[in-house]
Amino acid sequence: MPPVWTALLLRLLAAVLAGLTFGLAFGAVAGLSAAAAALFIMLLAHTVQLARLQRWLKAPVEREIPDAGGAWGKAFADLHRLLREERKARARLEADLEVFSQASEASPDGLVFLDADDHIAWCNRVAEQHLGLRGERDAGLPVSNLVRLSGFADFLAGAREGEALTFRPQDRKGKVYSIEAIRFGRDRKLLISSDVSQIERAETMRRDFVANVSHELRTPLTVISGFIEHMHDDPNPDPAEWKPQMDMVNEQAGRMLRLVDDLLTLSKLEDQAQPPAEETFDVRDLIYDVSAEGRRLSGGRHSITCEVEPTFLKGSREELRSAFSNLVSNAVRYTPAGGRIVLRWNLRDGKGVFSVEDSGIGIPEEHLPRLAERFYRVDRGRSRASGGTGLGLAIVKHILLRHQAALEIGSVPGVGSTFGASFPEWRVRPLGARRD
Amino acid sequence: MTEHLSRQYDADLEAIRSRVLQMGGLVEAQIHSAIECLANGNVELMLRVSENDRRVNGCEIEIDDACVHLIARRQPAASDLRLVMAVSKIVTDLERAGDEAEKIARMARQIHERGRLQIPRAADVRHAGELAVAMLRRVLDALARLDAPEAERIIAEDATLDDAFRGIVRQLVTYMMEDPRTISTALDIVWIAKAIERIGDHAKNVAEQIIYIVHGTDVRHTAREASRYGQGEPDGAE
Repeated sequence: MPPVWTALLLRLLAAVLAGLTFGLAFGAVAGLSAAAAALFIMLLAHTVQLARLQRWLKAPVEREIPDAGGAWGKAFADLHRLLREERKARARLEADLEVFSQASEASPDGLVFLDADDHIAWCNRVAEQHLGLRGERDAGLPVSNLVRLSGFADFLAGAREGEALTFRPQDRKGKVYSIEAIRFGRDRKLLISSDVSQIERAETMRRDFVANVSHELRTPLTVISGFIEHMHDDPNPDPAEWKPQMDMVNEQAGRMLRLVDDLLTLSKLEDQAQPPAEETFDVRDLIYDVSAEGRRLSGGRHSITCEVEPTFLKGSREELRSAFSNLVSNAVRYTPAGGRIVLRWNLRDGKGVFSVEDSGIGIPEEHLPRLAERFYRVDRGRSRASGGTGLGLAIVKHILLRHQAALEIGSVPGVGSTFGASFPEWRVRPLGARRD
Repeated sequence: MTEHLSRQYDADLEAIRSRVLQMGGLVEAQIHSAIECLANGNVELMLRVSENDRRVNGCEIEIDDACVHLIARRQPAASDLRLVMAVSKIVTDLERAGDEAEKIARMARQIHERGRLQIPRAADVRHAGELAVAMLRRVLDALARLDAPEAERIIAEDATLDDAFRGIVRQLVTYMMEDPRTISTALDIVWIAKAIERIGDHAKNVAEQIIYIVHGTDVRHTAREASRYGQGEPDGAE
């Protein structure tokens, strides 16, 4: 039997006993009165406790739970325990919620929780940035009122898995976001926005690259196939008569070959993260080699000189030779006959700097930042006429990157250009310095 | 918004506001495309702008219709009535802004068909256009949030766009004087700049309506308030 009932029975028993005692001593009336008085006192005590409970319930503060003895005391103690447990549970829940919201904030993607009517329930800061929302202020507003993208309402209504909407905000140039809607719970939705600007840009670059390569290969191929067709129609071709055409075919085939070689070099450079077989070598040998190559290409039309500080350089000799000779052949190509080209190697603040200075046509400043892009050309006609593939500087840049070196370009139109490569301190050691 | 006995009533009001904002988003995209057309001469995009203008017009009629229905069926009062009245004015402004976008696309087509690749003051016009699009976007955001202080800021900003317009015209005049052959193209540019400036005015009108929805108890009072922000330009002159 529950203790409350036991207590009640005991008290009732006490009242009956008191009534009986009084009844036996002073008669029936006195006995009943005594029993009634005892019951009345019991009722009063209960009512007082009930009133205290009601007063407390109006403004429930945990510390002010009334205190009492007996059955009421037990009830109040239970209430106390209940409240304490609930407080703990709430604290735990709040902590969980905090962790959850921190996790949502930490997400690199924008997250927007929507309620059943597609109104914003909550969003993280990334979503605010991506979609132009203002977190707390916009809570409760229909999301499509703020993201006014054509087709967005239909997209929300459909909300199929794996379906994404592209969002290009007009106030932020070049930014592209991909928005996905995921259903969860009972007709609630989660919007996920991710920044795909980089991916888009890479995709555009790849497309441009393919288009450029095709175009570059197509031009010489058109020339070659044109001549072959002509020769085909000639019933008895005279080799002497066809000599100039054959020379041209040969030249164009050479150009295609160079282009394909450069493409292969580039793709090899991209495939391997580390330069193969690094060695430490005397940079003088390399620069003298490259300058000799430059003189052969120039055929005596330019004066090519070297100024080299004796130094050891650590790196892939083959790759660096390719990079340096690309810079030198560019200088030869873009410098009019009679110009001068200087190859320098010196140490600047511990860094090793290779530079090729020419007195060539120079490059307008606006082109400089894009110069090392594949197939980027300042003057299309000229560079092709001089036999360039449009990939030389891209290869140079790649090789230098692999050697933690930076490509530095300075140019004044009409005066000349300087292409430099500066190598980090740890790759160079002055010749004659003690090895440590 | 106050709670109504009928949930449907609330849903109707909200739907009207959402549709205005959707329409605004469409107009915003239209203006953006029109300015893009001017820069790159993309004929396909120009045609699409003209095509979409019909959709904008359709929106105006639909939303106006919805407003009339709501008034007839629910007899809205106080802030609800203000919202409905303001919405029916806002759609007119949005529709006109859409017309301006179509006009810009048409002019852009004319210029590019004439084969002039060098468009005088192109950068300035583009900048003014972007300013107008930004104004419209912000005003629509303010309408979604019923953000009166933002609306006031937008009204004040219209002056910048007016200045930009005057600057473009001044420079085009010198341009035309130097080389009379450029006059026809330069005139088209003036029309485009004017259209952009008008879009700014429409955005400003929408901003005034937002203030009316939020604070206004009296239209005239709000008009006076707004014209103070618009630096004394009387409403009738626009």
